[in-house]
Amino acid sequence: MTTLDPQVLQGILELLEEAQGDWEYEGEIGPETRFVADLGLESLEIVVLSTMVQQRYGRLPFPQFFEEIGQRPEDERDLSVAELTAFVCEHRQPSGQPSGVEA
Amino acid sequence: MAPTVLIGLDGATFTVLDPYMRAGVMPNLAALDARGTRAVLRSIMPPLTPPAWTSLVTGKHPGQHGIFDFFQKEEPGSVYFSFATSQQVGTSTIWTLASEQGRRVISLNFPLTFPPPPVEGAIVPGGMMPWRQLRLGTHPPGLFERLQELPGFKPREMLDMELEIKAIDGCPEDELAEFVELHIRREQRWAEVLGYLMENEPAELTAIMFDGVDKLQHLCWRFIDPAFRPAQPSDWERQMIELCERYFNSLDALIGAIVEAAGEDATVVFASDHGFGPTQDVFHVNSWLERNGYLFWADGQRRDEREGRADTDVGFAEMTRHVHALDWSRTVAYAATPSSQGIHLVDRTPGSEEPLPAEVRAKLTAEIAAKLREVRRPHDDAQLIEEVWTREQAFSGPFEALGPDLSLVLADGGTMSILPSETVVARRPEARGHHRWEGVFLALGPGIRAGAQVQELSIVDVAPLLLHRVGLPAPEDMAGSVPEAIFEPGELERDPPRRAPASAPTLTSSPVAEAELDPEEQAAVMERLRALGYVE
Repeated sequence: MTTLDPQVLQGILELLEEAQGDWEYEGEIGPETRFVADLGLESLEIVVLSTMVQQRYGRLPFPQFFEEIGQRPEDERDLSVAELTAFVCEHRQPSGQPSGVEA
Repeated sequence: MAPTVLIGLDGATFTVLDPYMRAGVMPNLAALDARGTRAVLRSIMPPLTPPAWTSLVTGKHPGQHGIFDFFQKEEPGSVYFSFATSQQVGTSTIWTLASEQGRRVISLNFPLTFPPPPVEGAIVPGGMMPWRQLRLGTHPPGLFERLQELPGFKPREMLDMELEIKAIDGCPEDELAEFVELHIRREQRWAEVLGYLMENEPAELTAIMFDGVDKLQHLCWRFIDPAFRPAQPSDWERQMIELCERYFNSLDALIGAIVEAAGEDATVVFASDHGFGPTQDVFHVNSWLERNGYLFWADGQRRDEREGRADTDVGFAEMTRHVHALDWSRTVAYAATPSSQGIHLVDRTPGSEEPLPAEVRAKLTAEIAAKLREVRRPHDDAQLIEEVWTREQAFSGPFEALGPDLSLVLADGGTMSILPSETVVARRPEARGHHRWEGVFLALGPGIRAGAQVQELSIVDVAPLLLHRVGLPAPEDMAGSVPEAIFEPGELERDPPRRAPASAPTLTSSPVAEAELDPEEQAAVMERLRALGYVE
């Protein structure tokens, strides 16, 4: 079970909400929102989005993460906001002791 | 200060532009050609959009700026590849250099400008930038909202990832007309953004890149190059020939409007990142490596990847899948992308965590290069590969370790496929366009010779020239220099080019240090390589 730093979750949600105005998705974006099934993003769009995440949280092992997702069964090749947040929390450079919630 | 304007034409070549100028399809460019100095502009290895445009705007080669491909090694020694962005550009660009020294800049549709650097001016990134994230990539904050007020601002048409893939992997013939028409609209959208910025937020250094030239030449070469047009075209072929002419005519009108808006005192520089030419050969490099015992597919990958694919597919959509497609307990060499024309050697001894000894690496590099030069084309028994460059030859510099160990130049300018194939060398039934070294350069403005043609220039000369024209020195470590031959006599005495101290490279990763093995470890490594057949 991964601990989600609420500040990271909030940061990723803000990033998505900033871009959401140009997407054909009018629902609310939350931790369970999936990038492919819900937001309709292509894999390269997720890769580009990861660049913005790294802009905010520093260099992260996204190539390994994406390869791992690519190896899942086809109907599971997706990424939720919570999963992305957990990945960032697990791999970003430590910066103090965040108070977290469990996903 | 009169503005300096760079008009980038992705993949433009005089073999295409000159006939269109002579035929009256590009009257504005023809008139500008008569007013300026032109030259062939030699690209870099590899002559490919991300590294070549980065060389043009940094004045440096890939080993010095750190960009080699669309996807490239994340760090030396890794088999993982990451998407190349501005975060990997390890040196200053014309945008950052000019901005830091008090010049406003405009940069539209250039690759590797995302995430945008915080310059004084405007950046709207291009390249493989998804339209749905253009808001995040547009600088400064608030510009995207201002652009949304323009009637023709349609990000979906300005940046379409599917077009990038179609241009390289192919496009069904019944979609070709729409492909061209979309590019006509696409260039108009970008030009409208430029027109708005030039009028409302002008800059000393303005640059726009039109990438439809590259895309059309990839897929429509047989309708563009007079030497390849059908002698007796069908109705559809005639329609395609006219449609391509319409694209170049429309682009020419945009060029005319931009130059007019820049004003009579402006300096205007046209440049392409690489040239173009016809090709039919496709080299299945990973299958060749497999047949020669350097590469092994993981269980099931060889068969699965091949199903339903033509033997001329290059595998653009399969880039970076080598991580799970290959058997790393035995593989020593592989191609990860079809675009870089490069082969990488592994950094670890297969099946172990030990580094590949330097002498084994050197031996394998020389051996593979020698064998590549012997590959023949089945249809005429001619040599398939004209040149093989080692990493040291191609990419000397602080980022050398990120580049491929071997870079290939196919004799007919052909492409590499990374897909498994029963055929090592395939041949397309019709010529497609592909990249060449020889791009275009044309400059006009005060003090620049009119109606002149000078000897070949290097792509790394463009950045020093642009900086000079906005009154700035070029850093000492720029590989290029201001091309003196384009100026009228006495011009450079009045305004001599200057150099400035180089700034330290912004390394994003450090090279792998040569690991020291004790004798026992070394013996184990050599035994492992011997068992795999890589050393005797």
